[in-house]
Amino acid sequence: MTDNIVISTRGLNKEFIRDEFHVVALQDVGLDIHKGEFIALMGPSGSGKSTLLHLIAAMDTATGGEIRVLGQDLRALSDRQIAHWRNENIGFIFQSFNLIPVLTALENVELPLKLTNLKKQERIDHATTALQLVGLGDRLGHYPRQLSGGQEQRVAIARAIVTDPSLILADEPTGNLDASSAEEILTLVSRLNKEHGKTVVMVTHDPHAARFASKIRYLEKGALLSEGAVPAN
Amino acid sequence: MFRYIPLMLKNCWRNRRRTILTIVSIGVSMCLLGVIISVFHAFYLSDPTPDQALRLVTRNRISLTQPLPQSYRERIKQVPGIREVMIAQWFGGVYKDSRNPDNMFARFAVEPEKLFGIYGELTIPDDQKRAFERERTACVIGRDLANKLNFHIGDRITLVGDIFPGKYEFTVRGIFDSPRASSVLYFNREYLEQSLPEGRRGNAGTFDILVDRAENAPHIAQVVDDEFLNSPARTKTESEQAFVLGFVSFLGNVKMFLLSVSAAVMFTILLVSANTMAMSVRERVREVGVLKTLGFTPGAILGLILGEACAISLAGALVGYTISMMLTNGIRKSPFGGFLPPIAAFEPGVALVCVAAAGFIGLISSLVPAWGASRTPIVEALRSTD
Ligand SMILES: Nc1ncnc2c1ncn2[C@@H]1O[C@H](COP(=O)(O)OP(=O)(O)OP(=O)(O)O)[C@@H](O)[C@H]1O
Ligand SMILES: [Mg+2]
Repeated sequence: MTDNIVISTRGLNKEFIRDEFHVVALQDVGLDIHKGEFIALMGPSGSGKSTLLHLIAAMDTATGGEIRVLGQDLRALSDRQIAHWRNENIGFIFQSFNLIPVLTALENVELPLKLTNLKKQERIDHATTALQLVGLGDRLGHYPRQLSGGQEQRVAIARAIVTDPSLILADEPTGNLDASSAEEILTLVSRLNKEHGKTVVMVTHDPHAARFASKIRYLEKGALLSEGAVPAN
Repeated sequence: MFRYIPLMLKNCWRNRRRTILTIVSIGVSMCLLGVIISVFHAFYLSDPTPDQALRLVTRNRISLTQPLPQSYRERIKQVPGIREVMIAQWFGGVYKDSRNPDNMFARFAVEPEKLFGIYGELTIPDDQKRAFERERTACVIGRDLANKLNFHIGDRITLVGDIFPGKYEFTVRGIFDSPRASSVLYFNREYLEQSLPEGRRGNAGTFDILVDRAENAPHIAQVVDDEFLNSPARTKTESEQAFVLGFVSFLGNVKMFLLSVSAAVMFTILLVSANTMAMSVRERVREVGVLKTLGFTPGAILGLILGEACAISLAGALVGYTISMMLTNGIRKSPFGGFLPPIAAFEPGVALVCVAAAGFIGLISSLVPAWGASRTPIVEALRSTD
């Protein structure tokens, strides 16, 4: 099983130092995630869930410890290399969708492909396919403001998977959605995991959402509880 | 690189009202800049026309307002290489209501039989030319003036003199065409002479000289001035182009003025544009974080924002330069156009300078916010709320 590990951290620390404030967001986090797993990351507000996700996506750098993602030591890469690496390997889904308002659904989904060598027509074909996969094949020309929250999040998911990354990271993807939209999104994410073999790490507050995952891990005050452990309250 | 252009343009169009206002204000400033650069170019950088290159103007060394004795004409004529010399006298005067700018046109007392020889670019039918030479109170006018004030052959024009007091009445005997602005009236110097009191006769404002070859002109100018080195009234002889500029410099240090106005205009556009770009980048910090999450490098972000600013200021330059072409055309046709060196409506060099200025403004104005945005850590950018 060990050679199937896609995310591996050892003694991972993250501190934020701002003026006189000194916040320890992550403390000695050791985590192994295997290929094809669907992990739900839970914990109270401020426990460091987003911070951990950002470190995995190389959107931020750790203050201590080791982190390897998809066999890559992230600290060995330059800013430029990290950007390319993320474009190829990571699909990130935000709580607040974060679509570009001046672009249509299709253009939003095409955006990550602009960084690749694909020709215009290929980019459009890929983006269209991704939108069809999330069930929005008929909304290609719509702008974000013309879509419902659930639809916006599905566009965001299409954008996250369009480069065919092996890792999907989602930070409370259903946090801004009503129950039925949330259900759709969770079904979609678990399909990506089961049918397309994506490894998924999803931060969530919602125990119902967490049940879609194959495994739940808890963070508490920056520390990762051991596997199988559940917080006291 | 080109694949980012649609995104760049869509970003420009994000806040339409602000973008349009910015384009308009840059346009207005660039229009002013375009006019100034055109004028500057016409004054200081353009080559003389072949006709101009053959002409020299001799005036009193002390000042343009001081006359020279008319007897100098014969001595100037003796200088080798000079084909013709004509006395020309700025008349001034008032036509009808001088508050109407249309009524302000240049008037010169000249020697009719020499005028069209020296100013070879002026064309006039032979019979009109002969009529002008024959009749003491005849005048000829430029086509522009005739059109503007609706003058026809045979019309009478009355001027009230100020430098030369009195009432002067002319009959239009000819209308000439000129490649340049031609809001000018020429009349016979004899008429002026005979109207003047005894003591004021026999003077010349300037001597307009035609030389045989353009390349000899600078040397000939020197010879003429040397001829009067020991005379009571010394002369200053210069090319027609330089003379016209000297005339313009009556208004002050024009060169300095033009340069400082341009600098002020550039600075203003810079501020307007910098303000807009700072605002529009600040609103988008979060989106920059999203783009970076998708894999955009800091360099790509920098390029996107700089490109956006350049697109806006180039649009402004395009609008501004187009209007400035109309304005320079207007200046050329205005009453002052006759005194000024010809200002080209479209001059590739000037257009290039305007485009370069716009590009420069776009880059500089957005450099700071663009740099800041490209360097903001992703996590920090994503936390910003818009
Ligand atoms: N950029 C930052 N600067 C300073 N402190 C930060 C920063 N980002 C996070 N923190 C701090 O680190 C800790 C962990 O934050 P994080 O966002 O990871 O929590 P979270 O588990 O995602 O919480 P939530 O459920 O509310 O999203 C918090 O105490 C937070 O205040
Ligand atoms: Mg969080």
